[in-house]
Amino acid sequence: MTSISLSAIEKSFGNTPVLNGIDLDITDGEFLTLVGPSGCGKSTLLRILAGLEMPDQGSVTINGLTVNNVRPANRNLAMVFQSYALYPHLSVAQNMMTPLRLRDLSFAGRLPFLGPVVARERYREMSAQVGETARVLKIDHLLDRKPGQLSGGQRQRAALGRAMVRKPVAFLMDEPLSNLDAALRIHMRSELAELHRSLKTTFVYVTHDQAEALTMSDRMAVMMEGQILQLGSPEKIYNDPMDIRVAEFVGAPKINLLPGTLDEAGHVRCGGMVLSRITSNETVGSITLGLRPEHLALCEQGALESLTGQVVHKENLGADIYLHVSVLDAAHRIVLRATPDEGTSVSIGQTVHFKRLCGHAMVFGKDGGRLGLSNAAHESVAEVA
Amino acid sequence: MQGTNAHWWFVGPALFLMVVILLMPIGIATGLSFTSYSLGNPGADFVGLENYEKIFTRSTYEKMFGATFRYVFVVVPLSVGLGLGAALLINSTRRLGDLYKTIYFLPVMAALIAMAIVWEFAFHPTIGIVNSTLERGCGTFLESWSWYANGCERGFPLWLTDRNYAIWTVAFIGIWQGFGFNMVLYLAGLTSVPRELYHAAEMDGAQTAWDRFWLVTWPMLGPTTVFVVTISFIRSFQVFDTVEAFYPQGGGPSKSVYVMMFAIYEKAIQQNLMGIGAAITVVFLAFVMFLTLVQRWLIERRVHYS
Repeated sequence: MTSISLSAIEKSFGNTPVLNGIDLDITDGEFLTLVGPSGCGKSTLLRILAGLEMPDQGSVTINGLTVNNVRPANRNLAMVFQSYALYPHLSVAQNMMTPLRLRDLSFAGRLPFLGPVVARERYREMSAQVGETARVLKIDHLLDRKPGQLSGGQRQRAALGRAMVRKPVAFLMDEPLSNLDAALRIHMRSELAELHRSLKTTFVYVTHDQAEALTMSDRMAVMMEGQILQLGSPEKIYNDPMDIRVAEFVGAPKINLLPGTLDEAGHVRCGGMVLSRITSNETVGSITLGLRPEHLALCEQGALESLTGQVVHKENLGADIYLHVSVLDAAHRIVLRATPDEGTSVSIGQTVHFKRLCGHAMVFGKDGGRLGLSNAAHESVAEVA
Repeated sequence: MQGTNAHWWFVGPALFLMVVILLMPIGIATGLSFTSYSLGNPGADFVGLENYEKIFTRSTYEKMFGATFRYVFVVVPLSVGLGLGAALLINSTRRLGDLYKTIYFLPVMAALIAMAIVWEFAFHPTIGIVNSTLERGCGTFLESWSWYANGCERGFPLWLTDRNYAIWTVAFIGIWQGFGFNMVLYLAGLTSVPRELYHAAEMDGAQTAWDRFWLVTWPMLGPTTVFVVTISFIRSFQVFDTVEAFYPQGGGPSKSVYVMMFAIYEKAIQQNLMGIGAAITVVFLAFVMFLTLVQRWLIERRVHYS
C-alpha cells in the first residue's frame, strides 16, 4: 500500500510565491491530475514531489516516510518529462535500460565493455525486461534507433518505456502530451488511461489542458495561483465547481457567466430569468450566474423565461453547433450548444431565442464562491412566475 | 538557369579568393618542395623527392618529429583535460565564476613571446622562482621522493637548458597557455546541455556526480570535445613562439625542442633553403589535413546524435 502525501507545501522563487500551503493526499493506484493555467505552480509541485526542487515549507511523505531530505534517485519514482529528456547518444533500448543499469548493477557491472561480461546474467534479465516493456508500448521494432531518428509520438513512448521499465512507486508526468500533434494527443489520452488501468500504479499527471484532465483522471486538482481550488472527480469538478475560477477553467467552450441579482426571497434574477431554486444565502445583491453551453436550448419566441439575442458567430463542430449570441443589450456574449438540426438554419446576424434547462444553473457570490441552491416550496415558484 | 551566367557571379568572388590565397600558395609550396630553390636565385633545379628523403632520413628531422610529437601528445591531452576540469568546476560554482574564467583565460590573451620572458626568469637556475621554491622543500617529507632528494643533493634541473627537461618545460608552458582557451570552449558547450537531462538522470538513479558525468555531460560534450581536440592538435603542431623566444639559435639543447614550425622557419627563412622548408611545410600540412579529416569523419559519424 503506497500513498503519497504532501502537506503544507510552500515554495517561492525569490520574492515570487509559487505555492501557498498545498495539502494533497494521493491514494495508491489512482490517476491524479494537477491541472491549471500556466504559472499556477503545478509543475513546481510535481518537481517537489519528485525531489528536483526543495519546498520552503511543508513535507512530502511517501509510504509514511518523510522524504524531504531523500534524493530524487532514492524516492523510487519515475518521471516523464515534457521534452522527454531521452539521452540522445543512446539507443531506445539503452535509454530504457539506463534506470535498471544505474539501480541494479554494481560498479563493476556498469563499466563499459567489461560490465556486460562481469554481469552477463543480469544483463540478460535487463534486456528481457526492456523487451517486454517495449512490447507493451509497441516500440519493440524501434529499440535500436536513436531518439533523433524517432517521431514525436515514438519518442513519447520511449520516454514512457524508460519510466515503466522498473516498478516505481508512482509515475510523475509533466505535460507529456503537449509536444504531440492534436490527433496523436487525443489518441495517447486513451492509451495512457488504459496503461494506468493495466499497471495499477499511481499516476500523477500535470497538464494545462482541462480536456486531458477530464478524460483521463480518477481525481483532478484544479490549481490556480499556487493553491488547489478544488480536488475531486472530473464529474464533480465539471458539474459542481466550488469556485467561479474552477467553473471558468474547466469545460470547453467556457461556461457562460451573466451578472444577476439576489433578492430577499433568495431568488436569483438575471434579465428576464428567475431561477426557481432558491439560495439560503442571506446576502442580497449582485451575483454571477453560470450556465454551461449545453444547458441552454433554442426555443420559440415568447417562451417563458427565454432570453433573446443576436447570433454573432457560429462554430460548426459537426456533431454540435455552438452559437455565440450577444445578449442583455449586447453587453454579454453567450455560447450555446445546438444540435445540427436546429443550428444549421441559424445564420449570423439572426435574432434567436433560447432558454435554460432547469436545475443546471450555478450561482457564484461576489467573492467567487459557489452559492448553494435548493428547491423551494411550490407556491413560491408560482408566485414569482 | 540555362543560358545565364549569373551563378558564376555568385560563386566567382569566393572561388577566386580561395584559389588565389589558399590553393595557389599550397600548389606553389608543393612545387617548390621538389626543387632546391633559394630566395633571390634566378632559377632552381628540380631535385625530385630529395627534400622529402632528407626529411625522413636525416637525424635532425628525426629530432624534429620527436620534439613535435612529444610536445603535441603531452599538450593536447593535458590542455583538453584541464580545460574540461576547469570548465566543470567553474560551471558548478555560483560565485566567482567570472573571476576564475578571467584568471584562466589571461594566459590565452597574453602575448606568448612576452610571457616567455617571464617564464625564462622563473625557470632561471639560480635566481628563478621555481628552483628556489623547490629548494625550500628540501629537508621535508618531500625528500622521500628520490627525484626530489636527488635535486636537493645535486641541484634541481636547469629546466630550459637540460636536454632531458627542455621539451617538457616548453610543453608545460604550452599547456599553461592553452588550456584557458579550451576551458572557454567547454564552458560554451556546457551551457547547451539541457538541464532536463540531468533531472532525468537523477530520476533514473544517477546518484553520484561521476554517474551524471558519464551519462549526460561527457556524451553531450562530444561535439565540443572533437572540436577542442582538433583545435588543440593544430595549435600544438603550430607551436613556434616559445621555441623562438627561448632558443633563437638552433632549437634548444641538442635540438630537443626543434619543433616543425621552428624547422620551417630556420630552413626557409634563416638559411634560405626554400626547397626543404617547403617540403617540411607540405608534411606539416598533411598532418593538419589528416586531423581535419578525422574530425569531419568523427563529427559526422559519432557525436552528432540527431
